[in-house]
Amino acid sequence: MIFTTEMIQLFAVVLGRDSERVSEMLLSEGVVQFANIGEIDNQEINKFSAVNSNISVSEVTNLRERIEGLLHTVNIIPKAPTETNLTTRGSVVIEKEKKLLDRIDGERESIRERQRTIQQEILKLEDISRQVDLYGLGLSDVPLKTQHSFLQVQTGRIPASNATKLEEGLADYPSLPVSLGKQDDLAHYLLISMKRDSESINKILSHSGWTKIKLPNELKSVKEDVFKEISAKHETLTAEQKKLEKRVNDLIKNQEKELIDVWVNLRVTELLSRIKNNFKSSSRTVIFTGWLPSAKKDKLSESIKKACNDRCYLEWRHPGGKEIADNEVPVKFNNPKSFAPFEMLVSNFGIPQYKTIDPTPFVMPLYLAMFGLMFADAGQGIILLIAGIFGMKSFRDIPEKKGYFKLSWLIVWCGVSSIIFGILFGSYFGKALFKPLWFDYHGVVTGHAHEGARISSVLDIMVLALYFGILVIFVGLIFNWINLFRTHRWVDFLFDKAGILGGWIYAGGIYLAFSVLKSNPGNSISANKIFLLVGLPVCLLFLKEPYHYFSHIKSSGREHTEKSFNPFIILTWLMQWTVELLEIFSGYLANTLSFIRVAGLGIAHVSLMIAFFSMAEMTSGIFSIIILILGNTLVICLEGLSAGVQALRLNYYEFFTKFFHGTGKLYTPISLNSD
Amino acid sequence: MAGALSKYAFINAKLRGRISKILADETFEKFAKAPSLDSVLDSLRDTDFVELQEIYSATGDLKKGELELLKKEIALYIDIKRYVHKDSIEFINALLYQFEIENLKNAIRIFFDRKIRNHPADPNIHYILYEPIIHNIPIDIIVNANNFDEISGVCIGTPYETIIKKYSETVISQGTLFRMEVAFDHFYYGNLIEAAKKLKHKDAEIVLRISGVEIDLQNIDWLIRLKNFYKMPLEAVLTMLIPGGFNLNKALVSELYKAQNVSGIIQNFVQGKYPGLTALLTSQTGDSQSRLLLIHRILEEIMKQEVKRILAGDPFNIGIILAYFILKRNELKKIRAILNAKQYNLSQQRIESML
Repeated sequence: MIFTTEMIQLFAVVLGRDSERVSEMLLSEGVVQFANIGEIDNQEINKFSAVNSNISVSEVTNLRERIEGLLHTVNIIPKAPTETNLTTRGSVVIEKEKKLLDRIDGERESIRERQRTIQQEILKLEDISRQVDLYGLGLSDVPLKTQHSFLQVQTGRIPASNATKLEEGLADYPSLPVSLGKQDDLAHYLLISMKRDSESINKILSHSGWTKIKLPNELKSVKEDVFKEISAKHETLTAEQKKLEKRVNDLIKNQEKELIDVWVNLRVTELLSRIKNNFKSSSRTVIFTGWLPSAKKDKLSESIKKACNDRCYLEWRHPGGKEIADNEVPVKFNNPKSFAPFEMLVSNFGIPQYKTIDPTPFVMPLYLAMFGLMFADAGQGIILLIAGIFGMKSFRDIPEKKGYFKLSWLIVWCGVSSIIFGILFGSYFGKALFKPLWFDYHGVVTGHAHEGARISSVLDIMVLALYFGILVIFVGLIFNWINLFRTHRWVDFLFDKAGILGGWIYAGGIYLAFSVLKSNPGNSISANKIFLLVGLPVCLLFLKEPYHYFSHIKSSGREHTEKSFNPFIILTWLMQWTVELLEIFSGYLANTLSFIRVAGLGIAHVSLMIAFFSMAEMTSGIFSIIILILGNTLVICLEGLSAGVQALRLNYYEFFTKFFHGTGKLYTPISLNSD
Repeated sequence: MAGALSKYAFINAKLRGRISKILADETFEKFAKAPSLDSVLDSLRDTDFVELQEIYSATGDLKKGELELLKKEIALYIDIKRYVHKDSIEFINALLYQFEIENLKNAIRIFFDRKIRNHPADPNIHYILYEPIIHNIPIDIIVNANNFDEISGVCIGTPYETIIKKYSETVISQGTLFRMEVAFDHFYYGNLIEAAKKLKHKDAEIVLRISGVEIDLQNIDWLIRLKNFYKMPLEAVLTMLIPGGFNLNKALVSELYKAQNVSGIIQNFVQGKYPGLTALLTSQTGDSQSRLLLIHRILEEIMKQEVKRILAGDPFNIGIILAYFILKRNELKKIRAILNAKQYNLSQQRIESML
């Protein structure tokens, strides 16, 4: 768990006739991260050519993504293919699948066309509605709000046989012909249109045989219905739009089974093609190489042999030799599932290099301890816990929200940490409901700590945070030494800023600082002690640059060295040594002091709660409760976020920078569940 | 007096976060390959443009979606205004003028088509902004107006009143809005440069440089239109050009207008200031329009390089705001171009050439 999973490289030769079965098996096992075999420096291998595929992977991918796009519009997310899908898959005929999708697209487009037509009608009605809303309808007995109305309202009659002609003619303009009824083959209308279109509208009206009339008294009530008519028509059109939208969705839903079947088939074909793309072939044989966890070696070996009836040659190579550099090996995290949120925090920073320490198991306790120290409240912790569980439930089944799911999981962990630290410090929604198990944080901040308590002042809390920081930095240093030792980087092990000498200077500095603080005035620390603790490693550090210079000459020869030895080089070494020392002293000091923020945020958290309680005490009853609820909400949101970010920052900058370079490559095998 | 750090630290962090969400070129290439408009919109579901897909699904109306994009873009400028230091607000306002001017131009075009050109009802009337952007201009009255007097009347108190009054007769007599639109653009860039000059020295320098490249692009666009479509003589073209260009001055434009060998003329400034672009100069061009389009392409590349320069340089100046606006505007432009191209079934190659 502390180190990344041990990996092994497979180099395989199989017969061409077995390659299909082998690729199916490799996909089914899903453990190999393929490497480019062309990168192996071997003349014989370079004679091999790429395996020709009768299908274009990019075309398959495009079709698969098209189906995904279609299905996503109706919230259907296809599940990853299963082994059964792999064995029962059919051959992919690109043209056939394209035809299916083009047909759906075509049908969808014809519905869209209808939607567009209706939308134009809606827009015209909205144009009229806006005018009515702004200026009124402008009927003779309805006073206009202003003279700016652009509506033209007129009543008239046309021969009933021209009704369609009239409506068709008006279709291009924002207008509303309201039928007032028929009388002796004459249809009566109240027509609302825009003044700007009056010229064109008048032409249409005269072609339809329009005769202006005064609104008959018995039809005067119609004007009140016009408003209703506009909104009714709008509603009808909107409802029709909704129906069309549903029709588009139904069109896809009705094809759901077929689409998913095609998707699965395409997906399997795509993954198999991706595997085959890593194969190289000669006339009869196929070769490939890739990485897998060592623990999977026997099973994969057995499966390959089974797939090709033992007609294969398998070679296994362990990393670490001269042929394979550690930075070429993919890295697989090796943590329990519950560490997933912390794995996310680590991989956001970078992937550890192969063979080095995976910081995840240490980030978990450190992050939670930092968070708990800054946000110690059992009540508020419960709220975080509930919010986290709710988030996890909401995002659990949505693959594209995997990040949110892990974030919610992290919130659950933070909630648990807050609860534990809340109990330790006796804080429950800012109230000391129970006796603290460790010390009374509120009491310390308000200056009412118990007599004789070990932590009784704000300064004590700060010192506690500093101790915590020193511990974190030392853990980081030790991890760096382990990493450098395991990767045989002996010079860095000694001379690196976070190497043995750097750590020696830091430890000596810490010892001296605490000795000075604790010693009585007049009791000075002996010079020998100071030299041994800090002076000696400082002097030894000076050897770094000369060592690099002479080892470079030794390895590349004097003629290849840019500068020949001269007294100025010693000055350069002195300068580099001074700068490095400055960096070490200022860096470690800043790193250590940075942990005071843990105390700072914890104190701020308590202070805020005290402030809200004081405000609540100034009122009574419901107002007091509201203030406390709002105060707690604000603290949970603001302080929670702040503590989360600060804990992350301390991990990234004070802890990781000591040992973690994040230059590794994540292990991403091709499997049925591949992204 | 606020220092550069306190002025720009917050907005810099905020905008860099937003810049990381701008769609990558590969995404647009993928969109260009999509078989239909619907499939492009389907692909937008996981991006900031998801509402485009929602609007299109509900209405089938792409323009309505585009109008929402425009509203979003304006809201973006207004939003950024809230986060910038007060010294920069006037400059952001000057940038906001581009939307008001474009909206006003669209409204006047609708009026012009209907009243002067006697064209039938223009459906674009439904796709302009009726809400105020900077000035409270009643767009309703403009699209429904009977004459330019009514339009200039409702623009009283705005910088547009004089422009409309000055050019209304020319526009009617020439039967084109071109002169008036050019005047609007002159006002926009003039105002922008004035606002830029009020900024602190370093900020002003950056803004003038970037605005200068933008003016170059605008001028070259006009040069192409005026020379090839309007067959306008050089003297008339020169009067139309916006002053303040960064790479193209009047002398250079005159040479470009007359020249056969465009590459030779522009290689002086390209080689000196943008050596990475010299490869473009080797492109073989045929007719004069292609040559001018090549310059346009080079200017676009120059703009990209300027933006890169800003993003890689000192983070505490106004450059980050400008870079963000330019990148966002380009992103929206590409989205619009692809969606419209897909709606009109343009070929993949044609779409790719537009990006």
